[in-house]
This record gives sequence, structure tokens and C-alpha cells, in this order.
Amino acid sequence: MKQNNSNRRIFLLLLLVFPCFVFAQTTLTGKVNSDKGDTVPFANVIEKGTSNGTTTDIDGNFTINVDNLPVTLVFSSLGFETVEKSVINSSPVNVTMGESAESLDEVIVTGLATSIKRSNAANAVSTVSAEELVGTTGQTTVDGALYGKVTGVNITSSSGAPGGGFALRLRGVSSINGNNQPLIIVDGVYINNKEIASGLRGASGANRGNEENSGNRLADLDPNDIENIEILKGSSAAAIYGQRGNAGVVIITTKRGKGGKTKINFSQDVGINKLANAQGTRQWTAQEVEDVFGAAERAKYEATIAQNGSLYDFEDIIYGQTGFITETALSATGGDDKTKFYVGGSHRDEEGIIENTGFERLSLRANIDHKISDVFDFTSTSNYINSSSSRSFTGNENEGGLSYGYTLAFTRPWNNLFPDANGNYPNNPNYPGNPIFVRDNAKNEDSNNRFIQGLALNTKLYTDDIDRVKLVVSGGLDYLANETNIYVPENHQGQIGGQDGFVAIGKNNFTFFNSQAIAVWDHEALAGDLDLTTQAGMTYIRQESDQLLSQGTDLAAGQTTPSQAVNQSIFQNRATEQDFGYFGQIEGNYKDQFIATLGYRLDKSTRNGDENKFYGFPKASLAINIAEFDFWNLEAVNQVKLRAAYGETGNPAGFGSTFTSFAQSNIGGNSGQSLAGLKGDPNVEPETSKEIEVGMDLGFLNNRVTFEATYYKKEVSDLILTRALPASSGFTQETTNLADLENKGVELALRADVVDGERFKWNTGVQFYLNRSEVTRLDVPAFAQPGAGFGTGLGTFYIEEGQPVTQLVGNIDGELTQVGDVEPDFQMAFNNSLTLFKYIDVSFLFQLKSGGENLNLSEFLTDLGQTTPDLDTPEGQARLDTPANAERFVQPAGYFRLREAAIYYRLPKNAIQGLFGDAIEGIKIGASGRNIFTISDYNSYDPEVSVNGGAGLSSGIEVTPFPSSRQVYFHLNVNF
Amino acid sequence: MKNIFKNISTYGMALITILAVTSCTFEEVVDADNPSVDGVTIDASKGQLNELVVGVESSSRNGIAVEVTASGTMARELYLFDADPRNTGDLLGKNGIGLDNNSFYSVSQWNGSYRCIKNANILIASVSNTTAVNESERNGYLGFAKTMIAYELIQVLKSYGNARVDVSDPDNLGPILDFAPAISAVRSLLDEARGNLNNAGGAFAFNLSSGFDGFDTPSTFTQFNRGVAALAAVYANDGNGAIGALNDSYFNLAGSLDAGPKHVFGLGGGDQANGVFKIPDTNGDQIIVHNSWINEAEPGDTRVTSKTAVRIDPVSQDGLNGTHETRLYASNVSPIDILRNEELILLFAEASIQAGSLGNAETALNVIRNAAGLPNRDYGGTPTESQLTSEMLRQRRYSLWAENHRMFDLRRYGLSGSLPIDRPGDQVFNVFPIPLSENN
Repeated sequence: MKQNNSNRRIFLLLLLVFPCFVFAQTTLTGKVNSDKGDTVPFANVIEKGTSNGTTTDIDGNFTINVDNLPVTLVFSSLGFETVEKSVINSSPVNVTMGESAESLDEVIVTGLATSIKRSNAANAVSTVSAEELVGTTGQTTVDGALYGKVTGVNITSSSGAPGGGFALRLRGVSSINGNNQPLIIVDGVYINNKEIASGLRGASGANRGNEENSGNRLADLDPNDIENIEILKGSSAAAIYGQRGNAGVVIITTKRGKGGKTKINFSQDVGINKLANAQGTRQWTAQEVEDVFGAAERAKYEATIAQNGSLYDFEDIIYGQTGFITETALSATGGDDKTKFYVGGSHRDEEGIIENTGFERLSLRANIDHKISDVFDFTSTSNYINSSSSRSFTGNENEGGLSYGYTLAFTRPWNNLFPDANGNYPNNPNYPGNPIFVRDNAKNEDSNNRFIQGLALNTKLYTDDIDRVKLVVSGGLDYLANETNIYVPENHQGQIGGQDGFVAIGKNNFTFFNSQAIAVWDHEALAGDLDLTTQAGMTYIRQESDQLLSQGTDLAAGQTTPSQAVNQSIFQNRATEQDFGYFGQIEGNYKDQFIATLGYRLDKSTRNGDENKFYGFPKASLAINIAEFDFWNLEAVNQVKLRAAYGETGNPAGFGSTFTSFAQSNIGGNSGQSLAGLKGDPNVEPETSKEIEVGMDLGFLNNRVTFEATYYKKEVSDLILTRALPASSGFTQETTNLADLENKGVELALRADVVDGERFKWNTGVQFYLNRSEVTRLDVPAFAQPGAGFGTGLGTFYIEEGQPVTQLVGNIDGELTQVGDVEPDFQMAFNNSLTLFKYIDVSFLFQLKSGGENLNLSEFLTDLGQTTPDLDTPEGQARLDTPANAERFVQPAGYFRLREAAIYYRLPKNAIQGLFGDAIEGIKIGASGRNIFTISDYNSYDPEVSVNGGAGLSSGIEVTPFPSSRQVYFHLNVNF
Repeated sequence: MKNIFKNISTYGMALITILAVTSCTFEEVVDADNPSVDGVTIDASKGQLNELVVGVESSSRNGIAVEVTASGTMARELYLFDADPRNTGDLLGKNGIGLDNNSFYSVSQWNGSYRCIKNANILIASVSNTTAVNESERNGYLGFAKTMIAYELIQVLKSYGNARVDVSDPDNLGPILDFAPAISAVRSLLDEARGNLNNAGGAFAFNLSSGFDGFDTPSTFTQFNRGVAALAAVYANDGNGAIGALNDSYFNLAGSLDAGPKHVFGLGGGDQANGVFKIPDTNGDQIIVHNSWINEAEPGDTRVTSKTAVRIDPVSQDGLNGTHETRLYASNVSPIDILRNEELILLFAEASIQAGSLGNAETALNVIRNAAGLPNRDYGGTPTESQLTSEMLRQRRYSLWAENHRMFDLRRYGLSGSLPIDRPGDQVFNVFPIPLSENN
């Protein structure tokens, strides 16, 4: 509106100067380039205020006929800032479009087939770009790469092993025994992010599959393939995903061809993994050894000192390897106006900080977009992954002699555990396992062959000036063949005379299929002032899994297959789930001033008690862009948006919750059945969340500075809980709808392009967020959450009305007492990227987690073994005399961490031309690091820890994890 | 062109409408990998019933290992030196800590026994609601199931002092009873079971494992039932009742001490290993004999050398130490006695003391002593009741070492306070807390 005035003035001026040209029909030509000098193909060129428009061709050229001059042409293209250009004569129009990093013109997904401009969105949808995700440093997994980049997300790390073990929790815990992990959709494919248990507990004595510290299978996705990630954090944004959206939705879009000249990108990273936070060892004196263990041990101590001059540093021996990392990626992108492609391949090979551990991933991708005609176009996304990992033995166990943390807790540093010249490993006198033997000979491996295919067919059924109708039929398939291999040789100390060798081979197949059919109708009403987008569709999901584990004990010497075992057992787990749903949504946009959405989804699932009952999930939202109103005249403030959104989502019970089954229980060769212990609920209903989110977005100086503030309140009703039943009933657990839970929180994000010059740029961002939870209703007496932790004696999660769901409760002098809460008080991230001297890019990301407690049970073990490093201090000795209850083990888990930092040098164009001619377009070299330093009061390797994997209430309890590593990389990136 | 689009659009909408109306109907999901409990409630086949019998026998082994080591630690018979610090912490009351009602040691026996009881109750319900068996076969199943329930309830009472007896309806559990009413209910149940067994014909319709060899027909299983009844009677202080029951059991002063049914173990699929077995001279997971058991043994007692052995490396952990370790079981598939003649003889001695037949008690105790390589005890004249009681407890201490008896024996005779304290700040506990989940 403001510009209209100035245009009018120019127009009047032009009338005076060129009276005879003004009213003629004119053909304008021109070219669109990006600010990096590339042409911009397929950009939209619109005569402002009309429906007259065209697009640029593959070389960025365009031709447009206009009725009269002057005109204002509007140039827009995805990923670029929109440019308006006044044209006063018919000479060629050359336009330069700047690429937008965090542009308001960026679109985000709100429904299943439509998108909305970020500036019009009613939800705080976090978007992470490729640059933010992997632009700073090397990343093994997508979830591990998100630390500090998204408000409202809490990332739990259950293993520091290469290939990870992460869980994302968006806006607090929204499910405890159902699926607590967000739905992850990659290019329309609902992908498998399971932690696949390996049966390792058969040898280690761990209590459950979730103590086996498996990685989660999001690790198969190459972070470098990702164009952007959108995170629908709460029910209000995710409502259209119905009963798959309760824990939020992570929508990942991989890179696609943009057309134009074929570009080739090659990158090579090399790096290292090092133990991030060595704990050191207890500094023994001879007298201390005698006081603690007696004279015989003193003699051994003195003999070792006499022989070697020092004790053995088993922490360094086991965790001290420098793991080598290489990653090579090659991709090509290009295409013409009909077909665009992105093809790429990458290979990552990463060694861990423990010898013989590592992660390897080969990923091949082909993303094709093809326009069949003006009516039909399709997109195809194909990704093949072969990945494997070797994770060795960490975490909880019971006398397996395998888990290093356990072994090291008890192993006294004067015992030589290295093999002799004949390769014979000595017995560990202090624990039923020699860690060096385990490291060298025992195996915990998995391998994955995976194919992910997405396909979407768009049909433009009807198009005119006012109405556009299209039909989008899409589907996705994620097939994963996973194999696990656990092998503990028969001559492992803990096996001799017991199992005499253990092998477990898992063959696990997963087929996830999803399909949608959606009709979208765009309608312009009120002479173009009101845009209405209506969509309706249906969706079907089928997820099958078949897990087969063959286990053998009493192995023939040196043999590694169950068929060479005396005792063979086979376990099979099969599950099929199906969901079906309808949804509809209508969005209205009045002049970008008011944007309102109403939607509804109906879902049914075979995991519900009544598999054919539909549950409804409504949503409604409103955004008001005050700066778009005519009265707004504050130039410096270009955006003032008030927004409110409400939505509901659901989550069916986990597969099997409706069953009351027997489990095989044999004796003396007779086949028997014993109650399995879980009392199924054949009437279980989905847990449902209702969330209201309100917020304000501000943009200053044409979005040089943006501020986003959000408050949310999410109420989970009929929370599905597995609770301990009175075991005298014969059942130990039931899973049913028992409680209500409330999460509320605040998310703030400030971002600024402080300096934006050619030679010097500085972009900075601060994020702040917090969440509070409370159990608001509980139908049964308070209870200790089964499957997470080790009971009230050592501290456990405890479901109690009026208390946070994340509280830690322990038995202190016979009273159940809250000793801590794993929920942080707040979290912050501070990121900066700078360009210096035009060609040097520096970036760093700090992360602060304030408050929150962990239960450090590793220290319980090292105290028992007398190996805790601080036992030389009076405080350490005093701790030994305190009762071994939860109060003793609870420790502050806050930290401040330099999560990522990097420096890159982009070779100047003329330098490249001088060296390579035109063959190479760009070269970038750099160095970076991850987990560079951490300040924390926590007495172990990393306050980000979970002994029970990623599911449910699992963060914050530590038992001898795979220690976290620090990574340092060198990068080379070449564009052709 | 527009017409074509309109047609496509019409057809498209029609297609969506058709799909929407004919949405697939889902079938009910069933557990593909395990039989359902509902499947046996009505008209169970004999095969299904027999699988339940095996399940009852198999699950009667649940919880044994933890109970032996936990109660044995509390009664200062042994230490379990492993990686769980609570075995040398909580159980000995270290630094003033109390027992927790939500830890492995307090729930293992309870959950294990009640799982077995539930399996037996499912068997009772199924066998009462099927036409697959005749009346005498039905009585065989019932007599077996009720005897096993009674045996498990006794295990619960020994560990917890109380027990919930009426547990047949999981949604409407009976009260947790004190010891006296509970043991009385157990005895009634055993008598009821004997009634069933008496009407069960000459053979069971099911097979038991080799652990019940010699006790696998209605009449021989009745002998086991009576042995358990004698156990319950002694615990109820009914000496005469116990002697009567013993006479109908396999109690035999002249017979092999080892006679009696056993828990057998295996390493195959779905089976269990003997969790009380420990690898000899291994490090880090060992049952260490409490030094007092070694030091206070009579010279020449062969039970010391047959049940334990000197470790090559004496071991210490958490401020505790010991020279001997267990040799109770030869391997991880060695059977564990359920109720052997040796225990019946000791029960006979105890029942005789309770009934005032002190001479019989002395005789029985001498049988035990002689078997352990010890001469008849010289009481310095006719033994008094208190001399015999203390001799009986002493012989139980050595005959039944690490078999989950000592803690209860000391508790029922009020002698827990006589136990030694190994470390300053330790305490003696003699009963496990009822698990937290029972309060719910």
C-alpha cells in the first residue's frame, strides 16, 4: 500500500516525460540471477496486481507482455527472497535474487498436501535447514545433529557409540508406554525409527531389551541428503496427523533437483573420535590399597608398581582409542523444465573410542521430479542404505562380565589383563570378565539393508483464474532387513562353566507402508482478497514386523553359529498394525492479514481396543498479521503476527496391549505355558492430547531481526500407562488408560543478521525454552514406573498425581521422597555464524541445559569397587558411609557445552579459475569440531544419558553407558 | 480442455467417495506368537490342560535363586558378591538403610510364587469348565494344582510373614492374611487337595518332569502332598498333626536323605537354569559362605566339605570377606530339592518336640548327625526340650544351608537377634517387606 503511493508518483513523473510510450502494449525481457551469480530457472515473474505472469526458463531468461509501462514485476522462487522491480522502459530487466536462509517466504507444511508461507503460519514450526543441520560440522545421525537447533525439543542420548542412540522428545513427555517418539516422515514416507533389541541380554543378564543400548534406525538416514527438517512440535500443529501425531511430527525433505545446469558436489570429510570427558582414575597409595583390600592386594599393587612404574589406566586402555572417521559424498543435481533430478551417494565410516566399535553407512539416493503434462506430474524419491555398526558391550548387565563400565568399576588397576605372548588372556581377579578379551573377541554387531521409496502423483484436475483443483495420490514404503549378531566366546571368563559360549543371531524384517489420496481445492474469493484452500483425503498405514532370534549356548570351540550350540532356542515376534483415517481441512487467507484454518481428522487403528471405532481429532488456528493492515506505518517493523492454534492428536496403545497371553515355560522337556504377566486391556482407548498454542512473531528491518515467542499448554487425557499390578493377582503389569498429564511451556527465539556486508557478515541466534509437566489425574494409587530404573531403592520414575511425570523418587528412610526431576529448568542455545574477510566462515553453537537431575548409578558401582576417582578425597570417603539410596546418587545434570564450531575458507573464484579454469566452480575447506567442551557438575562422562534406551520415561538414569566422544573434522567441498 | 478436466475432476471425486464409503474393516488383532489365556477358559483340550500343568511345575522354580541368596544374606549364612551393591548393602542394613519394597530382593519371590499360583488357578478354572476330561482325571488336575498352590503360599509366608491367600479373581483379591490364618488356610487347601487326589484314579492324565519321578501318580503325589502338609503343620505348631501327615508321606528315618521331588533345570528354549549354581572359583559373581557357618561347625561335619569349598583366592567386597564358597550344586542344570527326606526327618524331630515326644526327636536328630559323619549327640543325660530345639535348629542350619530356611527358622524361634553384625552400622532384618504394588 505504501509502495502504491510511490509508484503513483513515479507514474505521474513518467507521464510527463514519456507521454507517448505509456499506453502501448510492451514486451519485456530479462534475466534473473542469484546473488551468487547462478541463473535462477523457473522463477515466477508476475505483473504486480494482476494475474499476468510467466516463469523464467532454464537459463533464467523470461519474456512477459505487459499492457503498459511502468509496471512492477514481482520475482519469486523457492529459497530466494522475493524481489519487486519497477520497470519504466522496455530495456532488458536484469534482476538479482538473494538466497534466503530464514526467509519469511519460506513455506512450511500444515496439512498433508498443502503448504503455507511461514509468515502466515499460526504455529511455531521449527525449521532446520541443511546449512544449520550439517553446515557446521560432521554429523553421524539426524537426531544427534539437532541438539541446540530447535526450541522445545529435548534430546536424550542413550549411547555414545558411533551410530548413536537418540530419542527426540517434543514439548515434554506426551506418552509413557505408547509411542513417545515423534512420527518421522521423509519425503512422504513414514519411516521406521525402531530400536531393535539384539538378544544381548541373554549373555549380559540385562533386564530387558531396552537395556541393550541398540541404536535407533533414524541413523540410516544420511544427514547430508537433507534439504530441511520441519518439526511440528505439538498437537495444534500436528493434528492433521491424528493418532500418529501425538508426540509431534518431524517432516524431513531431502534435496531435489532445481533444474538448470547440472551441478556436481563432492565433499570429503576426515575426522577423529576421542573420549570427550575422561574421568581419570583413583590415585592409589600402597597404604590405601592395604586399608581397603588387605595386605595381599598391597603386595600385588607393589609388584605392579615395581614392574611397570605405574598402574594400568583401564579407562584409557578401553575408552582411549582415537577413532578415525571418513565421509565421502558425491551428488549431482540438474534437469530441464520437465525433469529434475538429484542423485547422490555417500559413504561414512566411523570408528568409536573403543577398539573394534564403529558405524558404517552407504547411502544411495535418486530423487526425480517429472512433469508429464500440464495436468500430471510426479515425484519419486528412492533411497537405498546399507549400514552396519559394532557397538561392543556397555550399559546395564547382571554378571555377564561384558559391560565395560561394570568391569572397570571393579577391576583394580594393578592387575595385568593383557594377553601373554601366546595370546592367552588372564582372568580378571575382580570381575567375571576381562575387558580386553571382550573388546578383542566378543561381538555385538548389526547390519541393515534398507530401501525407502516415496512416490507422489499430482493431478491438476481443474485450473482457472479462480479455482484450482488438484489430486495428490502418494505412498511410501520403508523396507528394512536388519540382522543382529551377538557372540561371546566359550572361553570368556563369565561363560566358562556357565553358558560356555553364547551366540544370538537376529533376522528382523520391517515393512512400513503408507498411502494417501488427497484432493485440494484452491479458490479465490472476494476478488482475490480471500484465498480459500480446502483439502480432503484419506490415509492408510500398514506396518509389519517379523523379528526372529536364534540363540545358542554351549558352543563348540571357536564356533559362532547357533547350529554349533548344544542348547538352541528360537524366539519370534510378529506384529502387524494398520491405521486408516479421513481428514479434511479448510484454510482461509484474507489479504495476508487474517489466516484461519479449520480441520478434522478421523482415525481408527488395529492397536485400539475397538479396531473399527473412529476417533476424531479437530484443529483450528488463526494468525493475524498486523503489519499487513493498511494502518500500519512503522517501517522498521515489518512483521507483527499474533497467532493462536488449537489441535488434538491421539496415540493408540502399543501393539500387544490388548493381549493376555501365555509364554512358553518348559521343564524336563515338556512343553508348557505360563501366564506372560501382562494383563491386556481389550478395551484400551487411544490417549489423546489437546494443545493450545499462542504466540507472537515480530520482524524488524525487513526481517534482519526476528523474534518468535510461543506459549503452549498440552493436556494428555487417558494416558496409557503400564503399571505394576498387585503381583499376587498373578499379573505383574497392565497397560491401560489411567491418567491425565499436562505439559506447558515457553519457547523464545531471537535471530539477527547483525552485520550483512560483503566482507563481513554476522548472523546470530538465541533460543530459550522450558517445559513443565504435571500428572493431573491418576485413577490408581501412585506407582513406580516399570521398565525404567531399578525400583524405589535406587530411585525410579514414579507416577503420582500432582507431581511432574519426570520426577525421580526414592525410598529414603522408609519414606518415598522426591529426590529430583530429570526435566531441565530451561534450555538455551546460542549460535553464531560469521563471514570474515569475505571468504572465511566461522560458526559456533553453544548449548545450555540448566537444572534437571540424573541418577548416577555408575558411581554406585565404582564406589562398591572402590575405583571412583574421588575416593581419595574426604568427600568421596564420606559418601561411602552414607546409605545407598536415591539421595546419594542423584546429581545435577545441567551443562554448558560448545556443541559445534567450525571455520571454513572459500577459495575466491579468481583463485579457482587460475588453478583449475572453469572446470570447478567452488572449493571450500575447513575444520570443525563437535562436543568441543562441556562444563558440568555431573560426575560422569555425559549428563545426556539413558540406561533404558529412548522410549518412554527413560532419560537421566545412568548405568555405565558408552561414553560420549568429541569429534574433530577436516572438510573439503568441491562444486563442479 | 476444461471439459476434460471437469470430467476428470468428477471421476476423481466419485473415486474418492467410493473409497471413503468402502473403507476397509479391520479384523481383530490376535497374538500371532503366543496362545491367549481366553483360549483355555472354555473347553480346553487335554493337551492345553497338560501344558498348563507343565507351566505350573515350571513356574514353581521362579524366584528361587534370589530368595536363597537374599534370605541367606539376611540370615548371615552367605554373601552374594556380585555387581549389584544392594546384595551387600540393603540386605545387611548397611549404614542404617532399610529394606525397600520395590527392589528385586523384595519382589522376586513374591512375583514368582504368585505367578505359579495364578497358573494353577487358571488350570483349576479350565479343568472345571471342560468336557475333555472325566471326573477322576479332573480330580487329578485339581489335586496337583491345589498342592502346588499350598506349597507356594508356604514359600511366601516364610519370606514375608503374611500372604494373600484368596487370589483366584485378579480384580477382586482377598485380604493379605496374618501368618496364623494364612497357614491354616494352606492346611485346609492341602487337605482338600488330598481329597481330590484320593478320587483321581490310578494315574494322572498328565506327565510331570523327571523331578517328580516316584511322585507322579495320584497315590505317590499324595505322599508329597502329605509332606507339604507336615511342613505346614510344623509351621502352625501342630506337632501331632505334622506327625500324622509325615506318616502318610515318604518320610523314612532309614531311607535316603535325598528322596523327594525336585526342581529340575535345563538350558533349552523356555526352560530355566539353576540360578543358585555359581561357577567354582570365579571372580565377581560368587556365593561366599559366611565365616560363622564355617567357624561354628562341629569338627568333622561332612556337610561343610560337601556343600562348600575353600576359595583359591580369599575374597572381599564392600568390607566383607570370606574364605569359602558354595559347592551346593555341581552345574547350572543340577536339580534343587523341593522337599527331601532329610527335611522331613528334621520336621519329624521338630514335630516331636512340639508334641512332647522328645525321645523321637533325639533319634531323628541323631539320624541327621550320623549322616553328616557326626556321632550321636551327648546331651549330658536326657535332653531337655530346649537342648533338643537348639540341636534341631543347628542341624537345620547345616543340613539346609543356602536353601532358604535359616531366616525363617530364626524368626519363628525369635532368635534373629542372635545373628552377628559384620560391619558397624549394619542391621539384621528377618522378613521381607510386602511389595509396593500390593498396596495399590
